[in-house]
Amino acid sequence: MRFLTLTSLAIAALLSAAAAPASGQTFVFGAQGEPVQLDPAVITDGISSRLTRQIFDGLVKYRGATTEVEPALAEKWEVSRDGKVWTFQVRRSVKFHDGTPLDAAAVVWNFERWWKASHPQHDNQVKAGQTFEYWEAQFGGFDDKSIVSAVEAVGPHTVRITLKEPQAPFLANLAMFVFDIASPKAVERWGTEFGKHPIGTGAYKFVEWKPNQEVVLEANPDYWGPKPKIKRLVVRNIKDNSQRLGALKAGEIHGMEGLNPDDVGVVKNDAGLQLLLRPTNTTGYIAFNYKVKEFQDKRVRQAFAHAINKRGIVDALYGGTGLVASQFQPPALWGYNRELKDYEYSPSQAQALLREAGHSQGLSDVTWEDGKKEPLVFWYMSRSRPYFPNPKEIAEAMAADLAKVGIKTQLQTTEWAVYLDRRKNGQMPLYMLGWTGDNGDPDNFLCYFFCQPGAAREGFYGNKPLADVLLRAQKLTQQSERAKLYRQAEQLLRDDVGRLFIANNQPPLALAKRVKGYVPHPTGSEYFNTVEMQ
Amino acid sequence: MRRYAIRRSLTIVPVLLGVSVLVFSFIHLIPGDPALTMLGERATPEKVAEVRARLGLDRPIWQQYVLYVGHALQGDLGVSIVRGDPVAGDLLRRFPATVELAIAAIVVAIAFGIPIGVASAVWRNSVLDSLARLGALTGVSMPIFWLGLVLAWFFGVQLRILPTGFRLASGTAFVPWTNFVILDAALQRDWATLADALRHLILPALALATIPLAVIARMTRASMLEVLSREYIRTAEAKGLSRRVVVLRHALRNALLPVLTVIGLQVGRLLAGAILTETIFSWPGIGLWVYESIESRDYAIVQGVSLFIAVIVVGVNLLTDVLYAAVDPRIKYE
Repeated sequence: MRFLTLTSLAIAALLSAAAAPASGQTFVFGAQGEPVQLDPAVITDGISSRLTRQIFDGLVKYRGATTEVEPALAEKWEVSRDGKVWTFQVRRSVKFHDGTPLDAAAVVWNFERWWKASHPQHDNQVKAGQTFEYWEAQFGGFDDKSIVSAVEAVGPHTVRITLKEPQAPFLANLAMFVFDIASPKAVERWGTEFGKHPIGTGAYKFVEWKPNQEVVLEANPDYWGPKPKIKRLVVRNIKDNSQRLGALKAGEIHGMEGLNPDDVGVVKNDAGLQLLLRPTNTTGYIAFNYKVKEFQDKRVRQAFAHAINKRGIVDALYGGTGLVASQFQPPALWGYNRELKDYEYSPSQAQALLREAGHSQGLSDVTWEDGKKEPLVFWYMSRSRPYFPNPKEIAEAMAADLAKVGIKTQLQTTEWAVYLDRRKNGQMPLYMLGWTGDNGDPDNFLCYFFCQPGAAREGFYGNKPLADVLLRAQKLTQQSERAKLYRQAEQLLRDDVGRLFIANNQPPLALAKRVKGYVPHPTGSEYFNTVEMQ
Repeated sequence: MRRYAIRRSLTIVPVLLGVSVLVFSFIHLIPGDPALTMLGERATPEKVAEVRARLGLDRPIWQQYVLYVGHALQGDLGVSIVRGDPVAGDLLRRFPATVELAIAAIVVAIAFGIPIGVASAVWRNSVLDSLARLGALTGVSMPIFWLGLVLAWFFGVQLRILPTGFRLASGTAFVPWTNFVILDAALQRDWATLADALRHLILPALALATIPLAVIARMTRASMLEVLSREYIRTAEAKGLSRRVVVLRHALRNALLPVLTVIGLQVGRLLAGAILTETIFSWPGIGLWVYESIESRDYAIVQGVSLFIAVIVVGVNLLTDVLYAAVDPRIKYE
């Protein structure tokens, strides 16, 4: 009996000892997983970059909720007339969190680390299995393969970067989180462990990383930019979407991303919560395989375009966060073609086109170029991505639309890695996939897919005029001229029905009502120094 | 006795070897290239080849296996392909959290399972027995995933009396010594942290305890019923012993042997259940870790954890067998 009393007393004490409410000075954000590491130069994932964006700054940054570029560690810059020589004035009297000064030499040191494979702090990362993937992707490769030919300190606070040829998205590239400037001294001290002891110039300093639990940051009182309003920033790792929302409702965290589409309405209707949408930076599409004879006929592709009810899909399956896509670039990009007229949803037109193409009985089998005939398999992804949050349901809806006009598809999926493998080898006749932008530049959307006509990875789609336009746009620095070319590219793509662009998504964020000043950014990495709690 | 223990221990060598082959081949035979998963939408053929070479995936599979086992015997489980950290070190750092949770769960399961089973057998076919049997059936068939969500929702979000996840409140400055947080908090006499840690432990432990609790209750009931029908029980009753003494001293003690085996077998299940429980409750043990690693195809971690869990399960079963032989001398002659 005494035991029972004691136990119940203890339990009562535990239950009543409610967790000390997080003070107004601590902002806790719920992330979908564990950061990989916190060295911006070698990471590629959004969970890590959300943290590094607070700890580091780049030479330039994106303004507010746009992908326009504005000064950061570089106060101003100029570019030579031929677009090859960029001169940056580095902000004075900025210090890294370890007290070392930021100057031109430190900036040059960072560039050499990213760029030169023989740099000791590059070489050791590669040996440890990390790669400078984004440098390679954005600047053409390492050493002599890179588009960069020289990076020099021409004054204590002046950096000159020389390119082999003009690169249109150069500034947009530099604004990416990967090219944030790290303290050379700290990198040299920690080597490959720098990702666990990050030192930058950012609004927040790194305090502690508890594996699989949380990363703790604190405000940098000496920050050169707008001083952070929240003293302490905690990013917690909560894997399960429902559980993360539970933690938000229970007040254990104050903000989160990764809502199930069904939960968007729950957040909207909760008086204690607010819903924010990130400007869309992501497009989901259906790709044809051009080794399939039927798809080589433009009328068949047009029939597909008329058959799918995109509006219906977006309304029913995106939880109110989706937009109908008419082209590859999302509307926020400056190369977006506002005049472009999308194919309207019209089953009768689709049927007419199919008849014209000689498929009056409908289409259920397809023939590969090598003569092999097989049922038309429509592949959908097994894994949710921002552009297709619930791929299976979306695929079912599209297959139903196609069936209405006589196109019978067999839905099939496979494990994500196998899916990517089949796509790479051009083995799927019809499939869903999409893209999320890296740097807000139209080149990043269009060129990756359409600059190499006939690539297996892109279903052997070959559109030479389109590729030419895109390659021309890459060489110009005038944004207005480039924009014209990208609009033209979208028109070419549309007229040829090269692909079917289905939807853009605006990933939702849920925050406690009392959180103010959170500015969702299309890249998914928001700066927390503007956030406050009331 | 000693000979039996040695002989029994030797049998685990082929078992572990078999397990290592299974673990290794499962991970390498399932379709999907880890290199491709790492690169995602951005994969180019050259990058994929480069990553495969770096991970040693371009070697023949038997070579990869021999290398792996050779290293594993020296305590080297390789490095995480995503983070580059040694797997063995991270494993040992995370394991205490899982042990803490598993111990709490098994304590709950025993503390409730045995009394329920005994009561169920003693008052056989009563309302209490029916309820207990129904509860046990529900418990066995309840998906932990769902139960965890419901518990967290009810106690965490609706009532707000328990946290919805984690081991400690966010941003605590507590520095654990051994990573057994409860033990560490007690050793450091940090009572606030101890209470916080216990509060965080309640829901995940309950969720994880459900299935073993139900299994133990059912086993105890069956075993008690069998013992209660034995003649020596009738003799004990006939000589006028109280019901309480008969049940607790004469029947229960003998009925517990099969229950002990079942408890031993639950260890494997607990570790499997921990994967779901830890994921739901953001509990930073090896379950959550392996879940994340499966997703990112970090096969070095998945392999290391699977092998480690196999060793533990085999070890616990060995221990149970040996203890058993110590308790019941007939066993070693079988």
